[in-house]
Amino acid sequence: MVQSVSDGADSSRPANMSKSKARVLPSKRRARRAWVALGIVVIAIGFLLYKGLGNSLVYFRTAAGAVRDRAQLGSSTFRLEGVVVPGSIHDTTSGVDFAVESSSVSVQVHDTANPPQLFQPNIPVVLVGHFSGSIFLSDQIMVKHSANYVAAHPDRVATVNGKKL
Amino acid sequence: MESRGYRWSRRAIGIVSLLLVAATVILGLWITPPDVVQGQLVRLIYVHPPVAWVAYLAYGVTSIGSILYLWKRTRNLKWDLLAAASAEVGVVFTGLTLITGSIWGRPAWGVWWTWDARLTTTALLFVLYLGYLALRRVPADSHQRAVRSSIAGLIAFIDVPIVHQSVVWWRTLHQGATVLNPSLSPKIHGEMAMTLLLGFISFTSVYAWMLMHRYQIAILEQKVLDAELDQLIEERRREPDSESRQARPTNDVGNFDQPSKV
Repeated sequence: MVQSVSDGADSSRPANMSKSKARVLPSKRRARRAWVALGIVVIAIGFLLYKGLGNSLVYFRTAAGAVRDRAQLGSSTFRLEGVVVPGSIHDTTSGVDFAVESSSVSVQVHDTANPPQLFQPNIPVVLVGHFSGSIFLSDQIMVKHSANYVAAHPDRVATVNGKKL
Repeated sequence: MESRGYRWSRRAIGIVSLLLVAATVILGLWITPPDVVQGQLVRLIYVHPPVAWVAYLAYGVTSIGSILYLWKRTRNLKWDLLAAASAEVGVVFTGLTLITGSIWGRPAWGVWWTWDARLTTTALLFVLYLGYLALRRVPADSHQRAVRSSIAGLIAFIDVPIVHQSVVWWRTLHQGATVLNPSLSPKIHGEMAMTLLLGFISFTSVYAWMLMHRYQIAILEQKVLDAELDQLIEERRREPDSESRQARPTNDVGNFDQPSKV
């Protein structure tokens, strides 16, 4: 697939250089534009590293970990992860109340946002919010889907958790 | 110019890619069943992981091209052009990875974007290779450009294993690997797995076709540059002759007789 290039660049540096001397005379404008583009990219890399270091390394705390560190967390906003406890979901006028669990430790959640369409019992979720007493006040629910992909069998399993597929 | 064999193989890969993508679309949209949890959302899995894989592959080819250029025994400008062509295709597929992931994330997770390790490192990968392409635009002679972009390409590749392992090393919203997981046991049912495999093959084929086209364009661009350069050199060579021709009449009238240097 790879074809040869018929310039002097194949291996001999001097031949390559003698030709390229005349090539390196682009307009100053073009050069400036290239440096500006490179500068923007470097800034973008810096921004992503900043966001990455600030958010990604401890993306969430598990329910068990958050309960353990509740005094230290106070009323600060963080992400809480746990599995939605079956039978704990109750719709409210402002959102939904439910409980999440990890390592047999459960946290009661009062949510004021619309849950995503995959929100259901036994599904892992990540919630954004803070503690108020022993209740976690959440204003965002994110569903953490597993890496498993299981085909639905319409003849055998028509519904899952009461939801039509 | 390109050989006949190269042209025919490129066309053949193009036709095969088209058929494979069509088969993936048909199987993905109509034949495979919905997922027991995700329902119809699962259909994006036949596109999203394959395009992410192609991005990894493209950057792998960029790295190999960069190494072959930097190694003096194999140094040839064609490796640098291949590396650049592959990086460009890789950036397109990384962009597609981010877009398809976002489209799936909104209904499945509930958000278009979140700063977890997988998404952040993938965005970083995209920007790193944009930087590689921007660096290639900075004026320099061919050799200098090839050396510095080869080094940049290899540095940027460090992020590829970090992206892949991010779901293992850190807590993320993004799910772990379905196929290339630590236990190497695919967590996906039969015909869904076969369609996913077909997706990997078809998008790899599309990558090969795009790479062949882009590489051919890079070769042609280089030839145009060389032709312009040869013309400039030729014009430069003629300059002293014309100067000496113009100088002769003044010499004839007894002014300073300086030998012209050619």
